[in-house]
Amino acid sequence: MVALPWGRSAGRGATADRVTGDRSGRARLTILALVVFVMLAAIASLGTGAAGVSLGDVLVKWLSGEVLSVRDRVVLFDIRLPRLLTGMLVGASLAVSGAVMQGLFRNPLADPGIVGVGAGAGLGAVLAIVLGAFLPPAILAVAGMHLVPLAAFFGGWATTLILYRVSTRAGRTSVATMLLAGIALGALSGALTGILVYIADDQQLRDLTFWGLGSLAGASWAKLAAAAPIMVLALLVAPMLARALNGLALGEGAAAHLGIAVQRMKNLAILTVAAATGAAVAVSGGIGFIGIVVPHLLRLVMGPDHRFLLPAAALLGAGLLLLADIISRLIIAPAELPIGIVTAVLGGPVFLWILLRRRGIVDM
Amino acid sequence: MLEACDISVTLGRKQVLHGAGLKAEPGAMTVIVGPNGSGKTTLLRAITGDLACRGSVTLDRQDMHALPPHALAERRAVLPQASVLAFPFTVLEVVRLGLTGRIALRPDAAQLPTRALERVGLAGYGGRFFQELSGGEQARAQLARVLLQVWEPVQDGTPRWLFLDEPVAALDIGHQLQVMQLARRFAQDGGGVIAVMHDLNLTAMFADRVVLMLDGRVLAQGTVQEVLTDQNLSRAYGCRLRVSSPPAQGATYILPQAAEMA
Repeated sequence: MVALPWGRSAGRGATADRVTGDRSGRARLTILALVVFVMLAAIASLGTGAAGVSLGDVLVKWLSGEVLSVRDRVVLFDIRLPRLLTGMLVGASLAVSGAVMQGLFRNPLADPGIVGVGAGAGLGAVLAIVLGAFLPPAILAVAGMHLVPLAAFFGGWATTLILYRVSTRAGRTSVATMLLAGIALGALSGALTGILVYIADDQQLRDLTFWGLGSLAGASWAKLAAAAPIMVLALLVAPMLARALNGLALGEGAAAHLGIAVQRMKNLAILTVAAATGAAVAVSGGIGFIGIVVPHLLRLVMGPDHRFLLPAAALLGAGLLLLADIISRLIIAPAELPIGIVTAVLGGPVFLWILLRRRGIVDM
Repeated sequence: MLEACDISVTLGRKQVLHGAGLKAEPGAMTVIVGPNGSGKTTLLRAITGDLACRGSVTLDRQDMHALPPHALAERRAVLPQASVLAFPFTVLEVVRLGLTGRIALRPDAAQLPTRALERVGLAGYGGRFFQELSGGEQARAQLARVLLQVWEPVQDGTPRWLFLDEPVAALDIGHQLQVMQLARRFAQDGGGVIAVMHDLNLTAMFADRVVLMLDGRVLAQGTVQEVLTDQNLSRAYGCRLRVSSPPAQGATYILPQAAEMA
């Protein structure tokens, strides 16, 4: 692994921020670079797919005033564009909920996918798909097409609350307890989901199968419209948590002394994690490792200041998910691999590397 | 003026404080001393709101615990005992966290973290990682953050307060004196300081008022001469201690060599 000048094992580099300790300039540059990265990934994503419609050809046609063929239009605007937007929002949501959760638990290993929040959100989604018809009509009318993402949100919220209560005493989170409780909660959610799959009818089973693949293949404007408002809301709320999460890094007492309304901010953070994870899981199933790998890489580059980390995580999460989606479409084309497999193959080793690097300094 | 009345704290099943109270004036340094387990830190933590307590804490006759966090943060800063930092922040980034409230709006706000580091003798340490510092350096970096939060001891005519929990426990003698002088200067400039201390000699040197605690109660409070007496100290610390003063300056000191163990 490259010895980064700001890494633990690094020598005393002579860069300006190494002297002053101010990494905000570097953070701003990183964010700028990430904006470009996301734009490039978006263009690549629009130009990739089984239909063989090339973005360049379409652009040339469009610029020369030629009318696009129905096929081109359908492929671009009804298949690839909703998929692009879904991928960006899901990636941003997963990365931001990872960063917020790590700040809340004061631990870089907290990730909604690892500690069972994703499974809890999945249980909520499956509950809605299988048993949603039995809900009172009033609730169905209010929830409408948002029923599945809302149910996923409540599932994720309940899991996060239980996890926080179990693993945090007097403002200190035990990593071992958090991870073990996450395993237990994940297994419980998985078992309950299994029971629901048993009692599901054929149509519901089809829905569940498509949903459970962990894929963006089913992305559509309708699905996006159902989940996007919740993800956008969570992404807009997250930056308001930045100062509180920075303060929490010093400990809960110190954060309160800095003037932060700790309890209110913690509740807001839990809601944000649940909303972002829940809506992302509802729309794309389980996509792992984005939430842990993205914030970790960014902390290496620009430090842990959440005022910069949260927007950067949204961008890098969006861009990486688009890249993973492109890979999932190209690698066994014309068939495609579920994106969850791609992120796991890429993210798993990175996660192990993080563990190796941190061994000994993680306060268990 | 800060007044804590009849403070009682129960931790688990054990009552740690039994109606302790103290008065502290701005412009003076008030030091809480007492043997291990006497409730010094608990009293400070009850005053700062870290611990739930019975009794009242008032700041200029306002209920201090009723103030919202951001308003309280403008009035006082708290230096905790050693704490674990969650993420790899640089020293400058840690200090900059103290840049909160109205101080952050000053035109020279960007330079203040560096100046705070200079004050605590950590000039040039900004780029180091907080976790890489020694315990004493971490304590001083935290002090810089706390000093930054209440940078002006008096803001718009209102004195501000520093609460220090064993500020010199991890420090060598040179830095102990430096930190005590910083605290004293903060008080001399009109701010209020309440510190929990172990070292009786530093207390005698720097305190304007001393609060001596024993078994969750205040045994005595007043000036150094009033409180640090042979009788009070021998009773509090469970060994016969003799207070001395060098004839030239008349200052107080307590030599462990002069103690007679019971």
